[in-house]
Order: sequence, then structure tokens, then C-alpha cells
Amino acid sequence: MRQLQTEILVIGGGSTGTGVAWDAALRGFQTVLVEKRDLTHGTTGRYHGLVHSGGRYVVKDPRSAEECIQENRILRQTHTHCIEDTGGFFVVTPEDEGDYPDRFERACHDVGIPCSEISIAAALKQEPLLNPRTSRVFQLPDAAADSFLATHATAQAARQAGATLLIYHEVLDLLLQGAEGDRRVVGARVRDMTNGEEVMIHADMVINASGAWAGQIAKFAGVDVKIIPGKGVMIAMNHRIVNTVLNRCKMPADGDIIVPIHTVAVIGTTDEKVTDPERLRIEPWEVALMLEEGEKMVPGISRARVLRAWAGVRPLYQEGFSGESRDVTRALTLLDHRQRDAVSGFLTITGGKWTTFRLMAETTLDKACEQLGIRRPCTTATTPVPGIEQGHYWLGHRLHEVEEEHLQPELICECELVTRAMLEQAVQHNPTVTLDDLRRDVRLGMGPCQGGFCTYRAVCILHTLAQNAESPPPQASSPNERLDSAWEVAYLQSPAHNSKVPGKAPASTTSITSGETSTPIPSFDANLLLRDFLQERWKGLTPILWGQQLKQERLDELIYLSLLNVEHLPGEEATSPLTDFYRYNPQPEQFPVNPPEPTEESSHD
Amino acid sequence: MIDLLVIGAGLTGLTAAIRAAQAGLTVRVISQGVGSQLWGAGTIDLLGYLPDHTPVQMPLVAREQLPPEHPLRQVDAATIDKALASVQDWLAAEGFAYVGADQGANLWLPSAVGAKRPTYIAPSTQAAARLDDPAPLHIVGFDRLRDFYPTLLADNLRRQGHDARAHMLPLDLITQRHDANNVHLAQEFEEPARFDALVGSLRYVIKPGERIAFPAILGLAKHAQLVADLQSAIGAPIAEIPTLPPSVPGFRLHNALSHQLEKAGGRVETNMKPLEFGTEKSKSEKDNITWVATATSARPRRHYAHAYLLATGGFLGGGFNTDHTGRSWETVFNLSLTLPRHRDQWFRPEFLDPAGHALFQGGVQVNHAWQPVDAQGKLVYGNLWAAGNLLAHADAIRSRSHEALAIVTAAAAVEAILVQHQPAISAGSATSSRT
Amino acid sequence: MHNISWESVEHTLDECIKCNICTAYCPVSAVTDRFPGPKYVGPQAQRFRDIGQHESPDASVDYCSGCRVCNDVCPTGVNIAEINARARAEIVDKRGISLRNRLLGRNETIGMLGNIAPTVANFALHNPLSRILAEKVMGIAKEAPLPRWSENGSLREWLQRTTRKRLRAPKKVVYFHGCATQYYEPFVGKAAIAVLEHHGYEVIVPPQNCCGLPMLSNGEFEAARGYHQRNVATLSSFARGGFPIIGTSTSCTLTLKEEAPELLDMRDEASEELVHGTWDIFEWLRELHEQGELRTDFRPLAMVLPYHAPCQQRAHRIGKPALEILDLIPELDLRESRARCCGIAGTYGYKTEKYQIAMDVGEELFSFVREQGPDLQYTACDSETCRWQLEHGTDIASRHPIEFLAAAYGLYDLDKRALL
Repeated sequence: MRQLQTEILVIGGGSTGTGVAWDAALRGFQTVLVEKRDLTHGTTGRYHGLVHSGGRYVVKDPRSAEECIQENRILRQTHTHCIEDTGGFFVVTPEDEGDYPDRFERACHDVGIPCSEISIAAALKQEPLLNPRTSRVFQLPDAAADSFLATHATAQAARQAGATLLIYHEVLDLLLQGAEGDRRVVGARVRDMTNGEEVMIHADMVINASGAWAGQIAKFAGVDVKIIPGKGVMIAMNHRIVNTVLNRCKMPADGDIIVPIHTVAVIGTTDEKVTDPERLRIEPWEVALMLEEGEKMVPGISRARVLRAWAGVRPLYQEGFSGESRDVTRALTLLDHRQRDAVSGFLTITGGKWTTFRLMAETTLDKACEQLGIRRPCTTATTPVPGIEQGHYWLGHRLHEVEEEHLQPELICECELVTRAMLEQAVQHNPTVTLDDLRRDVRLGMGPCQGGFCTYRAVCILHTLAQNAESPPPQASSPNERLDSAWEVAYLQSPAHNSKVPGKAPASTTSITSGETSTPIPSFDANLLLRDFLQERWKGLTPILWGQQLKQERLDELIYLSLLNVEHLPGEEATSPLTDFYRYNPQPEQFPVNPPEPTEESSHD
Repeated sequence: MIDLLVIGAGLTGLTAAIRAAQAGLTVRVISQGVGSQLWGAGTIDLLGYLPDHTPVQMPLVAREQLPPEHPLRQVDAATIDKALASVQDWLAAEGFAYVGADQGANLWLPSAVGAKRPTYIAPSTQAAARLDDPAPLHIVGFDRLRDFYPTLLADNLRRQGHDARAHMLPLDLITQRHDANNVHLAQEFEEPARFDALVGSLRYVIKPGERIAFPAILGLAKHAQLVADLQSAIGAPIAEIPTLPPSVPGFRLHNALSHQLEKAGGRVETNMKPLEFGTEKSKSEKDNITWVATATSARPRRHYAHAYLLATGGFLGGGFNTDHTGRSWETVFNLSLTLPRHRDQWFRPEFLDPAGHALFQGGVQVNHAWQPVDAQGKLVYGNLWAAGNLLAHADAIRSRSHEALAIVTAAAAVEAILVQHQPAISAGSATSSRT
Repeated sequence: MHNISWESVEHTLDECIKCNICTAYCPVSAVTDRFPGPKYVGPQAQRFRDIGQHESPDASVDYCSGCRVCNDVCPTGVNIAEINARARAEIVDKRGISLRNRLLGRNETIGMLGNIAPTVANFALHNPLSRILAEKVMGIAKEAPLPRWSENGSLREWLQRTTRKRLRAPKKVVYFHGCATQYYEPFVGKAAIAVLEHHGYEVIVPPQNCCGLPMLSNGEFEAARGYHQRNVATLSSFARGGFPIIGTSTSCTLTLKEEAPELLDMRDEASEELVHGTWDIFEWLRELHEQGELRTDFRPLAMVLPYHAPCQQRAHRIGKPALEILDLIPELDLRESRARCCGIAGTYGYKTEKYQIAMDVGEELFSFVREQGPDLQYTACDSETCRWQLEHGTDIASRHPIEFLAAAYGLYDLDKRALL
């Protein structure tokens, strides 16, 4: 069995875990991160992309709001290219009555969140589809973030600072020492999901940053951490119906945000307590509710084309709490298990929100330093991740580059403007177990046709690439061995940059690994990739198939059944680590199911 | 006033219009866009898989195992044969040979990903790649062509025991263009001397006995001549494998049938979006349709006809639509549909579930004379007929029946129309149709 | 900047199912790599455009000729050509417009200026030296088929001269002549007026502006808005009074009916009245025919006549009424063109960088014409710029269908292009 020795072991490859690994590595700790799937596969990759200004919490939870505005300012500096400066509106619709807007404005002033009321005419000029019956509009510095890219960029920064990130590595157990009452966590036994190989990782300190899965990890240490998984359903509209983040100016509740992110606009979200963070289903009433609530800010939105729906699960935690998940606090929680459970060498960081991931990491590492008896200051707030020289993301970014470089014939995913070179670069430099991993890297299959055309193309390109590789790698080649070599993500999403380095690793000015060649192409079971991705896309389509998207689906069916006959390809029995996950697509038991009665004041992120 | 207004220019609409025009009716086809053939492979599929997923060898025999309400069960085998044979004749007249396997068996052809796909009648160039032929397939692709990849195709064929190898050539051999649209490439391929370089690079790598399979981009109208020339220049049988849409074989099929329709005196008018229709009480106390109005740049334009054939297809063709409440409607005459009412009953958890999705079994119900009926089984309009993939009880994409279902039901519906509307009836009526 | 509403053409991008049928049929992307196709620049690129952005992300949409073949073949109803036109306007809005395009958009002004001294103007414009100069300085292709000013005066001057000869009758129609008929081809207007009067209609020709199409297709929306507003102001009252507004220039009538209100988001009552009151001349004549009121006192016209329904005519979605009406003329052997586009697409083919593209696009039509026999006298087409391109591409004279109809009624000399 392979053995690894490190100072800090981070469990979980979402924004928090990756942020913790970055912070730890910058403070000079030997750091290893394990994630059982791809980075951001859990909650981080399933959120709407809102970078909070703090306005959403300013009345109910001013401290949280203060954290948000502070982090909002920092992230614009450290993760510039992952953020689109959309700005945000807090709008008072005819449904929103009372003195909340005045309280809101005062609270923003008190907390120090820039907030200016603008005329309805000015708001309508900027967002013509906004409800014209809106009575007041406040402008705040909300923004939109690409949580895939931001996490990849953070991970790259962590690597450059010396961290090792092992994805598709599942924790099987924690290594414990000492007797009950004086227990110490000294590492973890993990398994490489791609080849079944087990690895023993010894660490001075284990940080549990596994979000909604934190309770399961803590159990390995004999510690009870009661996570309340709160499911949030989001739906993406087919195009950018709005270009500014829209929030209802009222106490946070279901379906009251619309976030323009990349080429879509996302309506979010619900909040339902669930038992299993892996097995989420989207109820028709939840989709209906999103559209109904969306109508209040943008009348007509429910008649527009919906691209897809998905659910994420919040890692909500409240000590000793047993009520509704919507009432659980959104504040970050750091559990010091030495103090709480007499288990040392083990911290759990949970709660919080994407916007404050850096602060969560800082808080965690401060505690870790204290427990390890080392004083090292946090530097993440002033250390930009690679790639910020590209400036803020803007909607036209890809189109502009494709046009400038005349890359139109190179487009593989035409909807999201993914070129062949982007795909090839990503697969050579990012671990790829499923096409869904590539989707997170370059947005493959995320557009209107939902993989209708590009699934076939991508699978064939990957297959051809692997066949053409001079020496086909042994099957045992783990994605993480590839990961450990030169890894360049700063320009992962740039068609122009990738076109200039065909077939080679993108030249990196910041790469710490010199002399490393690009990683070997893994050999793929192309038919499995194809089936997995079709099913993965299908899962997010079934809740919203009507109108134009249903027509699109029928064309996709014609292509994959009638034209390609993919369900009769050889190798039907093969499965990937994610096949079961994609297949879990339960149909609601009955319709219509009424949503639970709304409570008076509910809380959301 | 014309005899027959056909709504929809897919295979259903076009073949129905040709038949009606050949029988002497004055016919106009209106459609919202160009027909749906460009989405498909350009083959005529009759029945590839039964609902339990059994592969079908003899479609006309296996048809008996379809549910009794399936549209293909409403016609006899002779009618099916005759309907398909006449389409073969029209295509032959346009220079496109369409062939089937022997004795009514399915042809099994390689798909662009290397699966064996069942079809009943195929362009002879596609049939040249039939997989019951032991001759090895030498699959040629072009490097920048984004809709065709020989490597996976050949690998999958080999995994299934077929002798196949892949060969990638530079696209520059056949074009100076950077653009990679299949139809444009096919058009360019028709220019003189376009394949000289291609022949040069293939002649010496071919092994004796091999068949050469290309992506389906070998010309448009001049396809047959090009293939014959290529075949004699290379000295090996030439086959085509259909790519992703837009499909070149579909484009050829569409043009050939449109031309047949023109020759028969009918015409297609595109970009005609139906908006509304008028009705009147007929002698038989049953409502008749008096006109269908389509959108123009200003006021709706009314099309008057004695008989109307609805051939708008299903969800893909635009025959039906749905919204987020689970409401569904037929888009031209608001006919009742046999769809599950609630959205949660529409789909199965797995995309590739062999049983298919319940929604796509739904559609328009017709009586024995191919006339739409309501939920109670009562005739809706005295002069309205329906055919093709809008008919209920068949998921033709799942069962691989798409094209034959269109052709056969169109033929049957036209037969039924002719019973009521003999050409003589319209002899005195003014016509706005040109021949 | 456009005022986006749910009715705006941009939202039709939601109908796109990415099938690329439009690209397969696009006559421009069929001949050049410079235009990546209607789906790419239309519904696909539109998802990356934000009307509020400081920068327009794209450029290749400029190579869309606006022929609308894409709209015609799209199976799902995306208003691709209109999305493209608006995207071009955004580019003009952000980056400004070239002097050339500004000039090409102002054919009314140019027509008016040349009309002061048409002979001088024709020499000034058409001599080889100035064409070379125009190409070098302005980017107007030296071979492009530019029109010639009428040396017999404008249509309005003729109308003033013949006021007393004009028919007065209780049945009245309004005639919209457009700039080309006014300054370059007044004979088309004369033929139209003669045919209308032949049916007992008094023809009113109120003051009118350029319809604004050249500006719309060059992305100058605000200037076009001014023109359209003035036309609405003068013409909608006629529409309200029940007088049909009839045009011979099919692109002008299309602009009044649909393009201007749609592209400029003008949906007020007066604009709507103008929409519903405007007719393409053969569309109106077909109505007359369907009511049994079209005169059929035709003389035979013994000739083979290739007829090309131009893109703007097909965009009306009214079928091909000129074909139906001309088909009534004895001995006229009509040959219907299936060509997609002549290539010129308004002012597109005048531009140096697009001239060859336009000629390559037109080849489909030119060869169709050539195939109809060696002794062709004429071709027929409803749009003036297309006729000029057809003549340029085939060396065969081209006429408006109304000229043939007038000739068949014995009112018009096709050769001399003059009333009898």
C-alpha cells in the first residue's frame, strides 16, 4: 500500500477544501487534499454563482453581511478572471410590502455596503425585462462567479505553493491513535476510485472540509457532527434574460434571486431538508415555484426556454438544532474537535457560503496553527491566483476570441464555443474520468443542445487522441499522476490561448514545475463516456422538458438513437465511478405535490 | 381554391403531395421551414427494434408483434410494399438508387459511431457498407471534419467482429475551405477534378477486397456519377456513412422529392407558419375546414382547399407543443392529443431505456380513414386527414420506423382522400397552382 | 441601443435547436469562409452578446448579406436575419460606421443630388476613373452594378407634368414608389400607375421618404427610425382611411410592413396601421384576381421569361403572386428560378470586400438564366438592385414583372421602357 506523509490533510475538493489547501500551502505547510470525485463535483459546482454583496443578509444577519462585502472586495482582486462584475439590483416588487426596504437601506449604510437607490426608469433601461411595476430599486456590488474556474484557479495556486491534490480519492477511514477521551486523528486511508488502489496518508492535522458529507467523515473519528443537508433547486434559462443580479428586496426566501452567469440566467433557489446529499430529486412543484417567483421580478420569464435544472445541497450546521433547514444559520462554523469531543488533530469547517470560502479557510488555518503551535500569518487575501491578468470575465469573452482568431471551424461544442484545442488541452492537463469533468473544465455540453452534437464529437476526439498517443499508457495510470504534473488552468477557458499551443501544454509564466512534459493521454472506454454523459445530461433535463427544450431533446434522441444507435454499442455492462450517480434520477411519486407552507421569516443564502 | 392543402414538408407531406398530384389533384404544400429530412440519415427505416428491444430481421413479419393500435398495423403488407416501392421509383427517376436487403429483411449498416443500425431501404451508396458483407471496410475520415471520426467507428466495428480499419486524411485534399459544413463540402465535391488528390492518396494504400467508406459528403445532385467515377478511379467499392445533421443524404432526398413534386404539378411554399383556420358546417352536419391562414409580413394569408392533410410531425417537427404546466396542444387545429397529463409521467429515469418515454407514444388519434378523431372517437372535421409522425401509438424514433411510417401513412391517407375527392370534382375550380 | 422586450427578435434564439439547416442553405457561407453561417452569427452568437456591454464581441456578422434564406428554411422559426441586423446595429453603435456605409445607406439623398443634373451625375459616377477612385477611397467595388439616374427626370417630375392626364375616380389607391423608382427607374412607376388606372383606380402619390432599409441593413438604426417615423406620419392616415398603400419595390414594402417596425421595436398604433395597409403590388393584384376583378384583356407575350422571386419578396411569405398573375398572360413561357439569392442583397455586393462573394452567390441564378436558352430577351424580378445584379451577371435585360403586365395590357413598351 502506498504511504504518504504530510502535515495537513484536507478532505473535500469544493471551494472550501481547495481554499483550505491553498491557505495551508501558502503558510508553508506540507499539504495534501483528497476529493472523492472531481473538484467542485459536490455543492460548489451546483450553485448559482452569486458573489454576495452582503445585501441579502444585511437586515437579518449584519455580521454575515459584513463578511460578504469584505470577501466580495477581496475576491475581485484575487480571483478577478473568475468573476463577472454584473452589479446587483435589490428590487421591491408589488408583492414586497412593508418597511423592509427602508430597514434594508439603513442596514446597508450601517454595515458599509455601497447601496444607492436608482430610478425605476434607469433600472428598466439597464434591465428592460424587469417588472415595470417595481416600486424601488437599489444598486449593490453583487457579482457572478464561475465556481468551477475559481476552484480550479485556487487549486492551481495551492499546487504552485506545494500542495498535492488527489481527486477521485475517497476516504475509507480515518487513522486514529489513543484511547477514548484522548483520541488523535493522524491521517486517512483513501482509495483511488479509478483503479481501486488504496493509499495511506499520515498527517499531523486532518481538516474535514467535505461540506454536506462532513458528518460521514466525522463519524470515522467517532465524532457526531450533525449536518443538515439543505437541498436547493436551481433552473437555468436558455440565455441571459438579465445581465444584472436581481434580488428581491425582502427577507430571503425561495426563488428570489436571478443570477446572470456565463450564457445563462439562473433562478434560485429552494431550501429543503434532505437525508442523503447524494440522492437528490427535483420535484415539479420546486420547478414551478422557481418560475412563479421568477415571474414576480421578470414577468414573462416562465414562458422562455429553460435549459436545465439541478439541485445542490448546502452543508448547514447548527449545534443542537432540530427544526426546519431554512432556519439554520448561514454563518461559517469551525468545529474544534479537541475542545468539543476530546479528539485532537481534527477540525471540521462547515456552514458558510461560496463568497466567504477564503475567510473560512483563513479561520480554519488560524485554528490549525494555534493547535500545532506555529505562528504563520494568512496571505490569501493579498495573493492573486494565476490568471487574473485576463481581467474580469465578460459575456462576450469567448465569442470575441473566436472571432479574433478565426476559430469558427474549430468549434466542437458550438453552443458554448469550446474549440477542439480547448478540449484537447483540458484532457491532457486535467484529470478526466467522465466527460462531465471536461464540462466543468471548459463548459462542454452546457449550452442549449445539452450535448446533442458535442457529446459525439468529444468522445470521438478523446478516443482518437488516445489512439494516436505514441505509447498508450498502462491502464493503471491514475488521473492523479497526470494531475501531479504540469497543470495549467488559468487559461482553460480561453479559446485564443489554447489555439496558440496546439497539442502542447499551455506556456505558463507561473508554473512551478519546470521540465515536466504533458501528461500521457489516458485510454478511454469511449462507449462508456458516451453513455455516461448522455445520462448525466438527461438527469438535468427531465425536470424541465417542455416547449423548445423538449423539441431539442427529441432532436438529440433522433441523433443518438436513430442516427448513431448508441444504445446498441458494445460494452454495455461497463460502468465508471459515476455511472450509478448519473442513473439515480427518480421520478416524483405523485403530482402535484404541494410545497410546504411557507414560514413567516425564512433564511436563505 | 385548390384540392388539397398539405401542412408540412417532411417525408409525410412531400410524398403525400406527390401522390395526390400524380392522381390529378391540385396540391400545395405549406411548411414552416425546409423539411425534416436533413435531420436524418436519408435512409428509410421501417422497423428496427420491437418494444421489448428485440432486433428485427424481417420488419414486415415482426410488425405483427407491434401493439394493435400502432399505425403500421393499420395497413397491410402489400400497401406498405407498394408505398415504399413508389418512393424508390421517384428517387430512381431523380438519379438516386435506393435498395433494400433481399426478401424483405433489414439492412444492417454502420452508424458514424460504429453501431449496427437497422434500416429497410437505403441509398445504394450507404447500402454498400452493409455489415453482412464480409469484405473489409476501410473507413476514411478527414481531420478537420467535426461530424465524422473513423477511429472510433472502426474500433467499434472490430469489437463486434467486423473487419474494419480507420484512415484519417487531411481535409485539404478535398477543399480549400476552412468551413466544415457537410452540405457545403458535398457541394464543393461536385466541382471538376475535386477528388483527384483524394484518389491519388488512396490508390496505393487500399488492400484488395476492401470497401472504402467515406462520410456522406460525396456530392449532391451529381452524387451517383461522382461515386461511379470515384469507384473506377480508386478501383474499390465506395460507400457512405451518414454524419450528424445537417445530413447530405437527407438533403439529396429532400431535393429529389421536391423536384418530383414540381414535376407532378405541386409546389412547396416555405416559411408558412399557420396562425388560424376557418370552419363551416358541411352537408353531413360535420364541420369542415374552409381555410388555413399563415403569417405573412403583414396580414395573415388564407389558403383555401377542399381537403387538408395535417403532416406536421410530432414534437420535433412542430406538430405538438407543451408548456411547464404540462399542458400540450396540437399546433394547427388544436386537435386532442393522447399524451400523459402530468409531466412526471412523461419520461423514464434513463435516457436510453429500451422501453422509450411515455410522452412519445402520444399523438393524434385517427379513424380507419386516417381522419383525426376526438377523445370520444368522433370525427373532428369532415375534410381533415392526418398522417406521419404526429399519429399516436408509435415512438418511431425508438422503434426505427420514422421514414416508413411517414411514407406508408401518407400513402394510406391520400388513398382515403381520393375516395372523397376525385380529381374530377375540382375540374371546374379556379387554381392558383402552377404546373 | 435597442429597447428589449419579450417581442424582440433576439428572444427567438430560444427556438433554435442547433440543427444547422440554415447554414446548409446559406448562400453566403456556401461560398466564403468569411461568413461562419447564420446559426453561428445569429442564435448562437446572440447568447454571448449583452446589449449593455461596452464592447461588441464579434465582427463576422457583418458578412451576413441579410438575404433571409435562413429564416425561410429554419424549421423552428428563429428570426435569424433580424437578429443579425440588430447585432450589426450594435457594432455600428459601438464602433461607428464607415463613410462608405453611411453613403450607401442614404440612397434617397444621393438620388436627389444626382437628379439635379443626371447626365453629369451619370458621367461622374460611371466613368472608369471615378469608379477606380471610388474603390480606392471608399471601398465601393469598381465592377459593382450601380444604377444610372433617369435622364428624363424623376417620377415625381413626370407626375407633375401629367397631373391633368391622371385618372380621377372614386376608387383610390396610394402608390409607394421608393427611391429607385423615383430617381433611377421612373418607368417602373409609370407602368404600375398605368396598370392601376387600367383597373379604374385613381392613384394618389403622397410625399414619402426612403423606407429606411439601406440604413437598417448598414446598421444605422437611429437614422432609419427618423425615416420610418416620417413615413408613418404621412402614410398611416391613408391606411386608416381604407386606401391600400401599394408598392412596386418589394424591399420597400417589406420594410414598411415588417422590417422597420420589428427591427426598431415600433409597435405603436400608427405603425401597425401602416403595416396592415401596405401591399406588394402583385399581392394586391392577386387579391383583385381572387375577387374576379383583375382585367384579363391581355395581348400575348410570346417569349421565354425566367422569373426570380428575390429574397425580399420571399420574405413577405405570400407565395409568388407575380408568377401567378403573369401566368395568365397568353404565350408567356415563365421559368421559375429556384436560386436562393442573386447575391447583391441591397448594398452588400457594392462593397469591395463583398463584391466577389456576391458574384459567387449569384452564380446559381446566373447559370439558371443561361440554361433557359440562348435567345432570351429579358429576365423578370421584383427588386431593383437584384435586376441590376442580374443584368450584370448575365448581360440580359431585366424588368420588373409589372412592366410585363403593363405590356400585356398594351400600355407599355418593354424595349423602350416607356408608356405607349
